[in-house]
Amino acid sequence: MIDASPTDTLAAAADKIVAKDMDVFYGSFQAIKHASLTMKAQHVTALIGPSGCGKSTFLRALNRMHDLTPGARVEGCVMLDDEDIYGPDADPVVIRHRIGMVFQRPNPFPKTIYENVVYGPRIHGEHSRSALDGIAEHALKQAALWDEVKDRMHRSALDLSGGQQQRLCIARAVALNPEVILMDEPASALDPIATSKIEDLIGQLTDAYTVVIVTHSMQQAARISDFTAFFHLGEIVEVGPTNQIFTHPKEKRTEDYITGRFG
Amino acid sequence: MIALQARRARRTELIAVLGLRAAAGFVIFAMMALLLYLAFEGTKTFYVDHFPVWSFLFSPEFTPDANHPGAAVFIVGTLAVTLFAIAVGGPFGVAVGVFLAEIAPYRMTQILKPAIEVMVGIPSVVYGWLGLTLLVPIIRTHTSSPSGFGLLAGGIVLSIMILPTVITLSEDAFKSVPTVLKEGSLALGATRWQTITRVMLPSASSGVAVALILGIARAVGETLAIQMVIGNSTQFPKDLFTPTAALTTEIVTDMPGATAGSLLEHSLFSMAFLLLLIAMVLIVFVRFALRKRA
Amino acid sequence: MAMTTAVPPRRSVSATESVRARKIADAVATAVLWVMASSIVVMLAAFIIYMVYLGWHALSLSFIFGVPKETTAGGGIGPEIYNSFYILILTLLFTTPIAVAAGVFLQEYAKPGLFRNIVQFSAESLATVPSVVMGLFGLLVFVYTFHWGYTALGGALTLTVLNLPALLRVTQEALLSVPDSLREASMGLGGTKWQTITRVVLPSAIGRLTTGIVLIAGRIYGETAALIFTAGLSVTGNHPYDINPFHTAETLAVHLWYTHSESIVPDVDRIGNGSALVLLIMVLLFNVSARIVGRALTKHFTGRSS
Repeated sequence: MIDASPTDTLAAAADKIVAKDMDVFYGSFQAIKHASLTMKAQHVTALIGPSGCGKSTFLRALNRMHDLTPGARVEGCVMLDDEDIYGPDADPVVIRHRIGMVFQRPNPFPKTIYENVVYGPRIHGEHSRSALDGIAEHALKQAALWDEVKDRMHRSALDLSGGQQQRLCIARAVALNPEVILMDEPASALDPIATSKIEDLIGQLTDAYTVVIVTHSMQQAARISDFTAFFHLGEIVEVGPTNQIFTHPKEKRTEDYITGRFG
Repeated sequence: MIALQARRARRTELIAVLGLRAAAGFVIFAMMALLLYLAFEGTKTFYVDHFPVWSFLFSPEFTPDANHPGAAVFIVGTLAVTLFAIAVGGPFGVAVGVFLAEIAPYRMTQILKPAIEVMVGIPSVVYGWLGLTLLVPIIRTHTSSPSGFGLLAGGIVLSIMILPTVITLSEDAFKSVPTVLKEGSLALGATRWQTITRVMLPSASSGVAVALILGIARAVGETLAIQMVIGNSTQFPKDLFTPTAALTTEIVTDMPGATAGSLLEHSLFSMAFLLLLIAMVLIVFVRFALRKRA
Repeated sequence: MAMTTAVPPRRSVSATESVRARKIADAVATAVLWVMASSIVVMLAAFIIYMVYLGWHALSLSFIFGVPKETTAGGGIGPEIYNSFYILILTLLFTTPIAVAAGVFLQEYAKPGLFRNIVQFSAESLATVPSVVMGLFGLLVFVYTFHWGYTALGGALTLTVLNLPALLRVTQEALLSVPDSLREASMGLGGTKWQTITRVVLPSAIGRLTTGIVLIAGRIYGETAALIFTAGLSVTGNHPYDINPFHTAETLAVHLWYTHSESIVPDVDRIGNGSALVLLIMVLLFNVSARIVGRALTKHFTGRSS
C-alpha cells in the first residue's frame, strides 16, 4: 500500500451496511443496476451524481422506503451488520427503528416541538414522561437545537425556521437512538448559514452514528464525508475515500463530473 | 385587416365576460332571493299571527288550529335523528375514507368508488321505500316496537344516506396530507395504523371536520326517506321506537293540505326558514374549519 | 476517531415482542377497515338484488307505458317516466349554461376579491339548502307570486337553482384539471382569453364536465321533495304525455312517494315496488352512461384515451 495513512484507518473501520448487487425497479424501469456499496460504521458516506442518477433511490432502498411505493421492487441484498434487511425475517418497522432518515425538505409533524422529538420513542412504546423528557433533551442537544428551543418546547414546530425545522427532524431521528442515519439532500432547501450548521452537525453525529448522505453539492461531499460513491445512470461508477475520489478519480466519468464537464 | 380582427375579438371578449359575470351574479341573486323570500314568509307566524318566537322554538304543543304552533317536537326530532346518523354514519364514513385514501388497492377503489356514486344517485324516495319495506318490518318483528316506525328506522336510513358525503370528503382530507409527513412517520418505524392515527388524522382534522359538518347538513335536510319511516307523530321520542317527526318531515306531511295564509302554513314556512338558518350556520362552520387549515 | 462513544448494542432486524404487538394492532385495524368498506359494497348489492326481487313482477309493458289510475288497481307509470325526463331536460337546459358560464367566470376570469368570495359563499350556501326548503321557495315564487300553479316549468326552475351549485362545482373542477400550459400555449399564439377558453380549455374539460353533468342528471331524475310543491302531484294535463310546460307534471319519484303516502289505489305495493325498481335502473343507467359518454368525448376532443 502506497496510499497515505488516513486511508488505512478508513479501511480499518467496521462495515455497517453492505449493499450487494442491488437492483431497483419502478415497474419495468430499472433505476438501480447491480449496485454494490459498503458503508463503514461511524463514518459519513456521501452519494453524489447528476440528477436522476439513482442516488436517492439507492438511499431509500437502505431502510425499505420503497415498500411504500406501488410498483417499486428491490432485488439483491442489503446487509445491516450480518443480517439481510430484505431477508424473510426482516421487519421494516424494526429496520426503520435502527436506520433513521432525514428528508430533503424539513417535514416536522404539525405538532409541538416536544411532540415531534418524542414521536419515535412513543410509537415504539415508551410512555414514561421523565424518560421521554430525557430523550427529548438528549436528542435536541445532539442536533444542536436545545439552546434555541428549550424554552418553547410546547410551541408548534411549524413556527421554527427552515434550518431549525431540519435540525428538529434530525433530533427526531436521533431520539430513536438509531445506528444509521440516512439523509436525502438535507440542506438543499436551506440557506447557507443553516446549511453550514447542518454540516457541522453531521460531523459530530459520526461520534455515535453511521451517516449516509445524498448530496447534489460536491463541495458539501468533500467537506463532510469520509467516503464518496459516484452514481451515474443507475450504476455506481466509482467509490473510495473522499479525498481520493476528488483528487485522483480512477474513472473518466467521475473526473468529468467532478471537474464540471457534465451534470 | 389585422387591426379590425383584433378589435372584433376584443369586443367579443367584452360581451362574453359580461355574460359570464351575469351568470356568476345569478348565483348570488338566487341565494339572496331564497333568503329574502323565506325570511319574509317564514316570520309571518311571528309578525302576522303574533305567535312568540320563544313558544315556537320551545313549546311542544303543535295545534295551529288552536293558534298554538309550537315546533319543539320537530326540532328535537331533527336533532335526535341527526345525532343518530352522525354518531353511526360519521365514524363509519371517516373509516372508509381512510381506507380509500390509504389502504385500498386499486382494484378495490375501482369497485368502491362507483358503488358510492350509485349510493349518491339513489333517490331519497327509494331509500325511503327500502326503509319502509325492509327495515321497518325487521324492527317490528325483532323489537318490542308495535309499528316499527320511529327514530331507529329514520336514524339507520339517514346513517346510510350520509355515508357518501362523509366518505368522499374525508377521503379527500386524508389524501391532501403531504406525503412527506406520512414518510416521516413511517421512516421512524411507525406502522401504517400508527401513522394514520397519530399523524394523518391530526393533519386531516379540519378536512374531516368539514366532512362531518356537511354530513350533518345532509342529515338535517333529508326529507322523504325519513318521512316514510319515522312515523310522523307529533310527540317527543321517548325511546328509539317512538313514532315522532322532524322539521322536514312535518313540512312535507302537512304542507299539501295547508290553506294558503293559514297559521299552519305560516308555521311550516317558519320551520323551513329555521332549516335554512341551520344550513347557513353549518356553512359558516365549514368556512371556519377551512380557514384554520389555510 | 471517536471510538470512546458507546456504540449502541447489536440488535436484530426481525420483530421483537413489542413490535409484533404493534403489527398485530395494525393488521387488526386494516382488517376492520376492509370489512367496513366491503360491507358498503355488499349492502348496496343487497339493496339492488332486493329491489329487483320485489319489483320484477310489477314490470310489464302496461305498467311502464300505462296511465296511472286514481282509485282502481292496474295503474301504470308511463306519464311519470315521461315527466321525469321532461323536467330533467328543461332543468339541464337552464342550469347548464348558467353553471358553466359562472364556473368559467370564477375559474378563468375572476380575480380573488369580494365578488368572487360572495359568489362562492352563495354557491356553498345554496348547496346545503335542503331540497324541501328549495321546494317551498319554488312554491312561493312560481305558485304564489307568478300564479302559475303547479307546473313542469316551475319544477324545472326550482331544480335549476337546487342543482346550480353542484354543476358549478363540477365545472370548476373540470376547468381546474386543464393544465395551465395549454392556456399559455394558446395565448402565446395570439389567441384572446375568450378564444383560448372556447377553443382550448372547454374542449379539454368537456369529458369531465359531461361525466359530472350526467351524474347530476341522475340526481335530478330522482329528485322529489323540491317537486312536490312546484310540479305537483298529478298528471292531469290535456294529454298524459304533455309538452306544455305550464301544466302539472308529476314525476316518477314524486309518484312513488305520493302513492305510498296519500293514494287510495289498492295496489300501492305493486306500484311502489315497480316505481322504485325503475328509478334504480335509471340511476344505474345514468351512472354507466356518465362514464361512457365522458370517456368518448374526452377522446373525441383531445385524442387522449382517458
